[in-house]
Amino acid sequence: MVITPYLTLGAILFCIGLYGALSKKNAVIVLLSIELMLNASNLNLIAFARFGANPSLTGQIFSLFTITIAAAEVAVGIAILIMLFRNKGTADVNEMDSLKESQQQRPM
Amino acid sequence: MLGNLAEFFGKGSNIAFFIFALFAIGGAVFMISFNRVVQMVTAMAFTFLSLAGLYVLLEAEFVAFVQVLIYAGAVTILMIFGIVMTRHDREEEVPRRPLHSVLLGLGSLALFVVIYIAIRQTAFPQGTFEAGEDNTLELGQLIFNQYVIPFELMSVLLTVAFIGAIILAKREED
Amino acid sequence: MASVYSQYAWLIPLFPLLAFLVLTAFGRQMQTLGAYIATGCVLVSFVLSLFVCGERLGGNAQGYTWNNFEWLKAGNLSVSAGFEVNNLNALMLVIVTLVSLLVMIYSRGYMHGDERITVFYAYVSLFTFSMLGLVIAENLLLLYIFWELVGVCSFLLIGFWYHKPEAKAAAKKAFIVTRVGDVGLFLAILLLFWYMPGHSLDFTSIHNAMSDGKIAGHIATWIAILIFIGAIGKSGQFPLHTWLPDAMEGPTPISALIHAATMVAAGVYLVARTYDVFSASPAALAVVAAIGGFTAIFAATIGIAQNDIKRILAYSTVSQLGYMMMALGIGAYAAAIFHLFTHAFFKALLFLAAGSVIHAVQTQDINEMGGLAGKMKTTAWTFAVGALALSGIVPFSGFWSKDAILAEAFRHNMPLFWVGLIAAFFTAFYMSRLFFLVFAGEKRSNREAHESPASMTVPLIVLAVLAAFSGFVFTPFNDGFGVWLTGQEAADHANAIVMVLSTVAGVAGIALGWLMYGKKSIARDAVSGKVPWLHTLIYRKYYIDELYDAVIVKPLKGVGVALRAFDVYVVDGIVRLCAAAGFGLGKLGARLQNGQVQAYGLIMLLGMIILTVALMGRRFI
Repeated sequence: MVITPYLTLGAILFCIGLYGALSKKNAVIVLLSIELMLNASNLNLIAFARFGANPSLTGQIFSLFTITIAAAEVAVGIAILIMLFRNKGTADVNEMDSLKESQQQRPM
Repeated sequence: MLGNLAEFFGKGSNIAFFIFALFAIGGAVFMISFNRVVQMVTAMAFTFLSLAGLYVLLEAEFVAFVQVLIYAGAVTILMIFGIVMTRHDREEEVPRRPLHSVLLGLGSLALFVVIYIAIRQTAFPQGTFEAGEDNTLELGQLIFNQYVIPFELMSVLLTVAFIGAIILAKREED
Repeated sequence: MASVYSQYAWLIPLFPLLAFLVLTAFGRQMQTLGAYIATGCVLVSFVLSLFVCGERLGGNAQGYTWNNFEWLKAGNLSVSAGFEVNNLNALMLVIVTLVSLLVMIYSRGYMHGDERITVFYAYVSLFTFSMLGLVIAENLLLLYIFWELVGVCSFLLIGFWYHKPEAKAAAKKAFIVTRVGDVGLFLAILLLFWYMPGHSLDFTSIHNAMSDGKIAGHIATWIAILIFIGAIGKSGQFPLHTWLPDAMEGPTPISALIHAATMVAAGVYLVARTYDVFSASPAALAVVAAIGGFTAIFAATIGIAQNDIKRILAYSTVSQLGYMMMALGIGAYAAAIFHLFTHAFFKALLFLAAGSVIHAVQTQDINEMGGLAGKMKTTAWTFAVGALALSGIVPFSGFWSKDAILAEAFRHNMPLFWVGLIAAFFTAFYMSRLFFLVFAGEKRSNREAHESPASMTVPLIVLAVLAAFSGFVFTPFNDGFGVWLTGQEAADHANAIVMVLSTVAGVAGIALGWLMYGKKSIARDAVSGKVPWLHTLIYRKYYIDELYDAVIVKPLKGVGVALRAFDVYVVDGIVRLCAAAGFGLGKLGARLQNGQVQAYGLIMLLGMIILTVALMGRRFI
């Protein structure tokens, strides 16, 4: 068994997650897609821990930490989202556009 | 090529890999394509479970267990909580941004192609893997001997995270 | 004999220039003091011109040339500037300064009370400077500069009362029509520059090159015709005569100065100065004579049907200039210059007298005047002297000069002789018509006429004396003038037939005019009633203005409109397109900054892909 199927699967999942993160309207779904991307990278870690150049358990420990961080990030993310929802009244990511420049039309 | 395929499916682990991979990808794709958020979260949970199966195939049983516990359990429930707290309509409307979607699709496809080509071109050296007797025991020994400091830092981070989340999500007093 | 004063001839144009500069700088505070300054400067120039001309009258003075000022230098080519004084120049200096001086004195009375009087005197001084510079210029290029400057002054002075739209239009018309002629002169200069040995343009070199035959015959014809086109424009010959009658919108003193005595004579002067080129080409001389003769009779016929006193005199000027061109064309160099000399005096006199009349009755329509002889005695008798001189009645100056031309025509070119004779008849007729309608008969105007002030009548008297007696310098019995001017003995002798015929023509014209307008025994519309279409044709100046308007002006305006549309839509459009493109690109870029994280993420993804492919792609292709 070689490593390449696992890496390919990881790449597929990563790209699907990227697509979801950048195209979904609901902020919760965006977070979910980010989780998918993290999962894909976890799969890579575990695969290299098993089939890589120096197979050892370090990769699995790394992935345990990743899972922990991801869980914490989800918790904080949902909390922020709830607060945003209270302020804006919507969970639509397209409405969160305060980074936009102000709308003054400069005359030519 | 058919000979390769037959040889591939000869081994049982390959069949298992194939099935789990199919479910994982299927779950992800369904997540993208469903309309209702709850359906999306369910599909995602399915993907998480399939990934846990894959971890078992990769002889990382403890990680598989943690994956099921944390992802398919806690994270999914958190997502559902988030949905419940922030929704005012049930449907995920399809956004009208054709240029954005097309470019994004192309971009993701391109990214996949790049990574795939990189994977194909690389000759991965394969080392030998000594599977220990008890994966959990081995992991525990590794964590508490070599990686104890990251472990402690992780607990600090979790504490900070949950305090922060509570403060953020607290209702205004007045 | 040494030319003592000729060395200082360069000072002569500078005094009016000084007056111009002073008046332009300080005119606003000065008012009538400005008039005195200008008049004083021209008086000094006049005295100096008298000295320069006087010392040449001995007859043996050499032409004096000074051209040591190196003006342009480009590689091997160098053009020098300077001045030249010969007999022709000296005569012109005296004419120009004298008429200018008299006009300035006259204007003190005529333009009295005009609030822009110092501007007027400044322009007249500038004109005098330009004309004097033109006269003593040593090479064609310098002459061309002064030629243009004279045109500019004419433009400024015609449009002096710029609040009148007719004056503005007339000024533009004058400048544009003379400009058309100036193109011809410029092309001639270019041709001369190309073909002259050593690329020199001064008149001495031209004279030498022509007499040595260095320039081929057909080239000389082209050069001569092109020079003549310049003269046509400036001197108002057919077909570029249309500006001169309209130029009468300007104040009458400058009609006298510019459009009677001096500027329009510049065309004749130019042909005379470059006569060596014309002499080398008989074809060009024939063209000159033909156009001159045609113009003489053409303008005379128009003059008999006009009702504006100044326009009648303007057509008369065109006609007399035609006589001068005709004379040059048939080789009568001395006669042409002599006619220029006498014409300057009597035409200026006629214009100034007309100005006096206009000043008194405030109208220019002769049908509204009448019976002014009683109240305006000086004006009347000076006008009569001028009219008689113009009609060619012995012993006034016009008789001798016109007779000289007709005698030469009789000898060389009979058709032109008859043309000149008939034009003389018409000339006499319209002058007597003018005189009787204005000064005789019963009063038709409502205003009380009074004689003009002394500042206006004294120049009239001076000019009348000159118009009466200046002819005696060149009669068939005394050809001193001709010898002095051309250095050759005049070959002809008195021709009695010509003298009799020209007198008959003049007297007949006056008699007809008296019968129709003085005694009224023939009705005014005896002829015009029978052939009203002919009268309309003449009165409307043969519809030449309308023809030019339809054929030239309107298409040019159409081209102008088209070009303007091109400018606004295409050229401006391109500029606006560039600006809009930049703006559009900016707006496009602004869409990237829409504040949405997903868009930023997409851009990052695409950028990363592109970078990766660019950096690593070479390995896989």
